[in-house]
Amino acid sequence: MNRPLVILLGVLMLGAAVFAGSYFAARHTCATVMSSTDDLSWLRTEFHLSDAAMARVRQLHEGYLPQCMKMCAKLAAKKAEVTDVLANGTNVTVGVQQKLTELGELRAQCQAQMLQHFIAVSRAMPPEEGRRYLAEMERLTLGFHEEIEQTMDMSAKP
Amino acid sequence: MKKENLADEKLSALLREPRLSPSLPPRFQENVWRRIEDAEAPAKSSVTWLEAFVALILRPRFAYATLAALMLAGISLGAYSGAQSARHEAEARYVASVAPNPLR
Repeated sequence: MNRPLVILLGVLMLGAAVFAGSYFAARHTCATVMSSTDDLSWLRTEFHLSDAAMARVRQLHEGYLPQCMKMCAKLAAKKAEVTDVLANGTNVTVGVQQKLTELGELRAQCQAQMLQHFIAVSRAMPPEEGRRYLAEMERLTLGFHEEIEQTMDMSAKP
Repeated sequence: MKKENLADEKLSALLREPRLSPSLPPRFQENVWRRIEDAEAPAKSSVTWLEAFVALILRPRFAYATLAALMLAGISLGAYSGAQSARHEAEARYVASVAPNPLR
């Protein structure tokens, strides 16, 4: 290989190393500086909340968490019951159907409670930001089911 | 002495005889002049385009400017990517706190 080509390859490698080094160093530094251990930090930055609005949102959040935990515990217990019933037989019996219905109802209750919390939080924000928050939270939490349902709907069509 | 005079006369006679000169190749004169011009012209540079390019990028001003531009581009893109990553992480943390997986 001739000398100019070797030099050119060396220069290209050096350039790539400089770019990659700068990129990863800046990425790591920025991610570290901007990361927070506060669960609500996203709300402050994304929805431009003032300290007063943040205090109201935090109060609502802390009030909601115990209810959420309680519901989660109930859901976990119900899921364990469904698993037990399913393990005892190979058919979808009335008992299995009953447990599945109860699990579905419990999930619906949880979702309703969650939506109620989102609405309360959105009201604690400036109106425009509140609307945006509510739409975003519905997309992030209930949108998942909608996507599945849409997929099922499409696959059901001939 | 007499012998020497005889030899000179013979030589002179030989020299006076007509001689056949070989014919020159076509465009002989033109070719001769071209070779003379080529020989007098300055030597052609053997530097290839690659060598010229390498010489250009190794110039200090060009090299420092390129390095600075690469660093700036890397830092800008890295900072943007880091900010996006931190934002997504914060969003996921909040969503996980208010809507644990069984609820979604």
